[in-house]
Amino acid sequence: MAFSPSPFLDPGTHASANNLGILQLRRDQLIPAVLLPHAESDYAEGKVENTRFGSFPHSTLVGQPWGTQVLASVVDTGSRGKSKKRKRDGKDEDGEAGKSDVKEARKDIVKAATASSGFAHLVPPTPETWTLSLPHRTQVVYTPDYSYILQRLRVRPGDHIIEAGAGSGSFTHAAVRAVYNGYPGQSDPSNPTEDADTAPKKRKRKRNGGVYSFEYHEPRARQLQLEISDHGLAPLVTITHRDVYSDGFCLDNPSLPDADAIFLDLPAPWQALKHLTRSPPSSAALKATAPDIPTETTADASKPFRSPLNPRTPTRICTFSPCIEQVTRTVSALRTLGWLEIDMVEIAAKRLEVRRERVGLAEEGVRGGNSAPANVQEAVQRLKDVEGRAAVFHSLQKEKQEEVMRRAEARKRGEVGVGDEDGGKKEGVKTSRQDRLDKAKREIEARSLFKEGRLVHRTEPELKTHTSYLVFAVLPREWSGQDEERARRKWGK
Amino acid sequence: MHSYIRPNTHIALRLPSGLFKIVEITPNTSINLGKFGAFNSNLLLGRPYYLTYELLDKEDGRAKTTLRVVPASELHAEALGSEHAPAAEATDESADSGAGYDIVGEDGEVIMRNNRLTVDDASRQKLSMEEIEELKKAGTGSGKDIIAKIMESHNALGEKTSFSLAKYTLRKSRKYLKRFTALPMDVGVLTEYVLEREAYKIMELREDLLGLICSWANIHCAATSRVQMAEDGVSQIGGGRWLVVDDTGGLVTAALAERMGILYPEESDAESEEDGETQFAALEEVGRALSQQQNGTTDPSETAVPTGTDTDMPEADADTTVPPNPSKPNDDSSSRPQPRKQPRPHVPQMSAQTNTLTVLHPNNQPNLSYLKYFGYDYGAPAISHPLYKHLKSISWLSLLHPEDDPQYDEPESFSEEALTTMKSSKRGTYYRKRRRWERVKTVVDETRAGGFDGLVVATAMDPKTVLKELVPLVRGGGKIVVYSPNAEPLVELCDYYSKERRAAYIAHEFGPAPQTPNQQNGMKHKFEDDAETNDSTTEVDEDDDFPVNPTLLLAPSLQTARARQWQVLPQRTHPMMTSRGGAEGYLFTATRVLPIEGRVEARGHHGKKKRKVDAEVPVQA
Repeated sequence: MAFSPSPFLDPGTHASANNLGILQLRRDQLIPAVLLPHAESDYAEGKVENTRFGSFPHSTLVGQPWGTQVLASVVDTGSRGKSKKRKRDGKDEDGEAGKSDVKEARKDIVKAATASSGFAHLVPPTPETWTLSLPHRTQVVYTPDYSYILQRLRVRPGDHIIEAGAGSGSFTHAAVRAVYNGYPGQSDPSNPTEDADTAPKKRKRKRNGGVYSFEYHEPRARQLQLEISDHGLAPLVTITHRDVYSDGFCLDNPSLPDADAIFLDLPAPWQALKHLTRSPPSSAALKATAPDIPTETTADASKPFRSPLNPRTPTRICTFSPCIEQVTRTVSALRTLGWLEIDMVEIAAKRLEVRRERVGLAEEGVRGGNSAPANVQEAVQRLKDVEGRAAVFHSLQKEKQEEVMRRAEARKRGEVGVGDEDGGKKEGVKTSRQDRLDKAKREIEARSLFKEGRLVHRTEPELKTHTSYLVFAVLPREWSGQDEERARRKWGK
Repeated sequence: MHSYIRPNTHIALRLPSGLFKIVEITPNTSINLGKFGAFNSNLLLGRPYYLTYELLDKEDGRAKTTLRVVPASELHAEALGSEHAPAAEATDESADSGAGYDIVGEDGEVIMRNNRLTVDDASRQKLSMEEIEELKKAGTGSGKDIIAKIMESHNALGEKTSFSLAKYTLRKSRKYLKRFTALPMDVGVLTEYVLEREAYKIMELREDLLGLICSWANIHCAATSRVQMAEDGVSQIGGGRWLVVDDTGGLVTAALAERMGILYPEESDAESEEDGETQFAALEEVGRALSQQQNGTTDPSETAVPTGTDTDMPEADADTTVPPNPSKPNDDSSSRPQPRKQPRPHVPQMSAQTNTLTVLHPNNQPNLSYLKYFGYDYGAPAISHPLYKHLKSISWLSLLHPEDDPQYDEPESFSEEALTTMKSSKRGTYYRKRRRWERVKTVVDETRAGGFDGLVVATAMDPKTVLKELVPLVRGGGKIVVYSPNAEPLVELCDYYSKERRAAYIAHEFGPAPQTPNQQNGMKHKFEDDAETNDSTTEVDEDDDFPVNPTLLLAPSLQTARARQWQVLPQRTHPMMTSRGGAEGYLFTATRVLPIEGRVEARGHHGKKKRKVDAEVPVQA
């Protein structure tokens, strides 16, 4: 298979097979799918995405320019369901039969017929669309948070970033986009797992950006690894299943991770901080940062100290914690370990909803309108109308009553057979509501609702008021007396 | 990046007051910090960033002012020192007896003072103004002793609660400590610096929103992206090219460039400390090769790729999907006759094909003045700067009416014989004109061909007029982001792209929607009214109701975000009491899509109501 860059980074002009595409149904309803038009499937059309807006066989998606509005296809979902049921009932024989069916179907995938209704848009994946559509394994770091974090961490193309607590991978994807500046040894895609620094260096010493991701929950780490490979990002992301509190961040390759930035989404970031230093931390500092844990200095002493940080650049860190107690402990650990520029913020993000607010008597019975009077004049007019009708009604009532009296008197007098005229009278007091609704219905055709009413905006009904506290800090380069002496010699006094 | 302070770059010095001072640091010059004193720039050069320095005056037996690095432990002494003491206070939370009373422990010992006895009177400070001035003149040390003296002579320091004492100390330190922190000049610092003094110049754009813009616009480094052509074989699609409308003096451009890896001059991101020189030489080499190709027979689409950042990736043009096409608009054969020998290697400006920013500007020149802090002067750009090739600019006039732009007119072309007989100065002018024209023509033609990966707008102009022209230039799946300090312009924009208006637009373009929308599963013909399209009747009416084509954008949304800062100190953690007001700042985001020609029926349930369907009938782009 020819090397093709991740659709996240260089999507190309068209959706292509074996790459991730996103079907956008609504603003917040997106279906990610690795497009496999020839994969085994129960459907005659091959692999199909079934949505409430129709079915979309992958064969109708591959080869479409990105951003295309795709029409749903007619897919027989019913018979497949039946065969599945059968499978469940008589496990063995029917299961076999089903499989052979599938094989036949796979041989000649039926060209999907376009359905009469339903569509979706095929958009290239971005960290934003992925964040909205990814399978949740843990709390997700959402776009407003990760945008700010990456901005503040000053993550630039070519940087190395450590991410601990990879979780669902939303931050991973955003981080890859930020550090990406080409695949390691791009001309040699056959060896994509090779690390940036070990790849034969081309011309200049160009450093490829990379994400070094740590996750201590093994199934999650494995799942993330799968996703990352599916998305064509495997050469850029190194996922390690590890407990960073005890084992730190250094990788087998002695020159990695060589981090410029760190993002910790851990329950106790202060316990990981002792591994993120430029020189071995003093035992006093260790005690101060993690008093509840017996210091494993013995274990540390056996190995020579190695810093996971890039010694040539200032290292920036961000920790992501939902509780204030975590923040205070983290901050005091950062202070003890010599981090500077410590800053804590929280992000308040909201989405606004824009709509037209139509108010007025004309809105009665019209969807989305408020049928209260639009202004005092309308209110007065309506009151007048009501009064007028009431007057008519009362006069009719009076008439009716008189009529009743007359009839009663007539009956008294012994006359019989006076007709019932109620029906005719009802016509007179006609319920104006029905009338108005009819009128509104007639008029709606001529109205342009899209530009009527007052344009308003307000916060959307679902509001995230707190995600997490973000603690930022910077660890400058180590600067010894020797370095100072050298600088003094070089630049003069 | 930013591994140490390099000569002739801009750096930001943060003073104890929290204000920034930006200086261009040249060797052997004096840097003046006002009342705090002055020092020689050599004392900073070659040192790492983020360190805090203390000015040590010459009076203290030194020949010159020197700098002392203040270690982190000293900077954090305040916070760390009090950390363990108040921990004892924290244990007793039951004694929370309300304001006005000391918090008293079980044994009757006062464990937390409060402000019951505070006297609001300036007379408690025994030192007079004159005396303090005297102390300052004496200029001993770093200001610490002044603070110590002031604290000493405060009458009732003992009456202060530990919190107010801390505040008092902080206030005095801000005023008298002769310290500063050296920060690298990056987009974050620049934003803070400008917001502080002339926020209007950057449309009050905060860093949190800059981050959001970059994310939603999907900005990333595309130096190695493939160059791919549309089916017409002329216009490029994607390739990491973004369109920018920037009324923030170049701040937005800088933020995008930072994410694309083209903001900082080459040398500063090299790991090597010494080889700045060699890199430049290499670059010159590339430039020479380039200009030779340019003047030879090769197609410009091939020549343009290798640049400072691109060169190591031959992939970029190897993957070109379309063979060199002689009919390319920027390959006007009449531009060919150029002399073989050139006095100097000419590196064509704005010639990169991938990873580019195209800035649209309303004046003759774009206002990108803030780029000067990153070593890029728009008026006289340095060839070594990545923006030289990756930043393109085009005026609204040349975009919309290139025929009216004199720069787009081809200057007279001379034969080689005629050129050789020319005076050298005249020949120089000739080449300059030719090159400018070539540059303008290339940029205009490729911009008009569209296929951009995204559009970022931060402008005071009416956004709908901007989007009307520029949205069609964005590729399918590309991202649109519009920033505005106020909500109203964007609210209006959302309305122009609303679902209702889209439906109306489709009805307007394709005739009314077929009635009985309830039977959406019926065998209705989708393209039935295709025939009667496009006889748009009243132009005026259309422009009023549909200033933009609402079917071109998917999922238009409006959002805002704000970072709220907290103070984190032991026992004193709370949100900051004050922060910047002013413009809240909003973002409009959407995705460019390619609607199907003709009428399309939507499916699915609309809201919780019964089966009702809004007939969405997107139209051709």
